[in-house]
Amino acid sequence: MFLKTQLSWNVLVPAENLDAEGLMLQRAILTRLLDDFATKKAVKDIGYFIAVTTLDRVGKGLISQQSGALLFPVDFSCITFKILPGETLEGVVHKVLKHGIFLRCGPAEKVYISHHKMAGYEYVPGENPCFVNDKGLKIENGSLVRVTVIAERYDEAEKDFRALVSLEGDFLGPV
Amino acid sequence: MSAEEEENAAELKIPDEFLKAKCLMNCEVSLILEHKYEQLQQMADDPMNQMSQVFEKSLQYVKRFSRYKNPDAVRQVREILSRYQLAEFELCVLGNLCPETVEEAIAMVPSIKVHSLSRLQLFMFLRGKGNEPPDFITRGRAHDDEAIEKMLNDLSLIKKFE
Repeated sequence: MFLKTQLSWNVLVPAENLDAEGLMLQRAILTRLLDDFATKKAVKDIGYFIAVTTLDRVGKGLISQQSGALLFPVDFSCITFKILPGETLEGVVHKVLKHGIFLRCGPAEKVYISHHKMAGYEYVPGENPCFVNDKGLKIENGSLVRVTVIAERYDEAEKDFRALVSLEGDFLGPV
Repeated sequence: MSAEEEENAAELKIPDEFLKAKCLMNCEVSLILEHKYEQLQQMADDPMNQMSQVFEKSLQYVKRFSRYKNPDAVRQVREILSRYQLAEFELCVLGNLCPETVEEAIAMVPSIKVHSLSRLQLFMFLRGKGNEPPDFITRGRAHDDEAIEKMLNDLSLIKKFE
């Protein structure tokens, strides 16, 4: 699920950018914020950081005695993405293995359907491995699938989320 | 709590951090990200450099999974669904998946069938007394099949004129 949320971050503007005033300073602050935003990628409680939508408020800068840089408290609105347990969503298959399938949902690539959660589907090995059920429905690389989220977990090392999903249930499965 | 209410607890277990969050449909996000992508293309020589992987993958995803492309249609979807007093989360799942039947709608968003009073009691129980439930949970109320059918019909009309 994509969410719109308001956050408050401290943005550090290095001394070299501080000759600028007014609009130029605002731009320097915005540029630093966008850089920090893109670098941060994802955190456990909020999800993935997708895009900044508006700069809502810039507070007074605090000088760092040592570096001469200014620290600005910034309120901004942004789009984030989080996989919520119990949610039903759609994704694209990007890896088919004997024991299950990996989907891509939004920026998350490690959305996993275990073959235990694919009742009726059998693995078919080969150059383009896939899962097929008795009704002839095929799930392969590139297939669109609708699933429901069982659990999700944040991976601190990768700054990434993993999720366990299922396609067992009414109106779930290949789209 | 009845067994049914307990089962529905899973659908309503929304963590603290979403108290201040508003949900967006894929088609809404698509319009925003496409606009940003255009801005990047105008500003930088090499827009691909400026885009994070997260942005790029999200843009690809929402373009693929948007049922409505026209900005007017997107606005209409939100407007129509807003009339049915759905919780934000429910509204967006419906707008994303566009169920065609009442059965499908309830399968996708089981919480639309939960009675509004028990929903509130459920939330209070989960979160402890004295906590205000977030707007986007309590605004939803129970819908009978007829109301859901009407809502789906209104939605399908937008698709016809897109």
